[in-house]
Amino acid sequence: MRVCAVVVLAAGLVWAPLSGGASSAAPLPSARAIQQAPSGVPNLMGSWAPSSGRGADAKLAPPPAGPLVLKPEYAKAFEARRAADAEATRRGEPLPSAGMLCSPYGMPRMMAVATYPMEILQTPGQVTIIAEAFSEVRRIYLNRAQEPIDDVPPGYYGHSVGRWEGETLVVDTVGIKESVPGYNSMPHSRQMRITERFKLMAADVLFDEITIQDPVVLEKPVTYTRAYRRLPDYEMVEFVCENNREYVDAEGKVRMRLPGKVGQ
Amino acid sequence: MRKTVRVGALPLMAACGVLLFGTSAVLAHHSFAMFDMSKPVTLQGVVTAFEWTNPHAYIEVDVTDGPGGPRHWSIELGSPSILQRAGWKFSTLKFGDKVSAVVSPLKSGEPGCLLSRVTLADGRVLSNGGAAPATGAPATGAVRQP
Repeated sequence: MRVCAVVVLAAGLVWAPLSGGASSAAPLPSARAIQQAPSGVPNLMGSWAPSSGRGADAKLAPPPAGPLVLKPEYAKAFEARRAADAEATRRGEPLPSAGMLCSPYGMPRMMAVATYPMEILQTPGQVTIIAEAFSEVRRIYLNRAQEPIDDVPPGYYGHSVGRWEGETLVVDTVGIKESVPGYNSMPHSRQMRITERFKLMAADVLFDEITIQDPVVLEKPVTYTRAYRRLPDYEMVEFVCENNREYVDAEGKVRMRLPGKVGQ
Repeated sequence: MRKTVRVGALPLMAACGVLLFGTSAVLAHHSFAMFDMSKPVTLQGVVTAFEWTNPHAYIEVDVTDGPGGPRHWSIELGSPSILQRAGWKFSTLKFGDKVSAVVSPLKSGEPGCLLSRVTLADGRVLSNGGAAPATGAPATGAVRQP
């Protein structure tokens, strides 16, 4: 008796049987349910959805966010922008945003976009996070030294390194472009550093405690926690922003493009 | 003799029949503020196109009975990801299908709107997914979606 198997790597780890038994009437089991993390570390593999925790179990609800305190030279403009945004929304004329223009969110906001799931892949030396909304991808390199901030080309996801501290995956990210929307729309500088602590609170509940440091913009670091529920067997959905009908008119107002009659 | 590896012997986690997506309001693609969520209207008509696209799906409808009389309307939906969790498929609607839709119209008065729920020709009723506020509810505090 011989047992053969081929491991196929395609958008996650998928086992495929290699034998004449493939014609067996027995249905193949779910491929996604067998995802396994490298041995010795917690298993974060699979799909996760932003969540408020699990039911009434207070231990599985994320703690409230800490205060966001900007330096005075940034606070005034920040508050003015928030007030203008609220007033525009009240009038039914929302202000444009990067997301409305189909620009990706980048870090750290991609870690929770509405109810869109994300997928975590653990491979030797790397953790990869794929957000469904806008198909954003970030790569976390394990057990490497971080680059100096000024050596990292500014981008949406920056440069991330991580290490396991016991049961917690600690991730350090630098190199986020200043134009990338910040946490709660806060401004940020090239000196922003994002520290994340991923921890399984239960087999199906994951926390990501996010701390943002920015010595240029913030009076003190701000910390908040995103919670996720595991989605067994969920298959990530394609997201290409191909049909964006929202646009900004000549007066700066967001409008919905109406194509007129379309179809056969 | 060969034998298929029975990966089914590995533990399976419970199937996710009902996805729980409770979450706080998170800004995503755009605000719903351009729609009048306080004045739902009903459109009845015939589908001319169903676009299963991101960041939103759309139903194009030649409305026979609705505010303003017969005219063409564009109905905005959530994204395919959110819609499929509410029972939609890319093939749910096709050219020529009759529909009755409860929508929130644009405040501008143009024939565009946000879907609340639609009744299909076979009687099924589908919502716009869990992320959009129910028609009639205030837009403030609603979970926004790309």
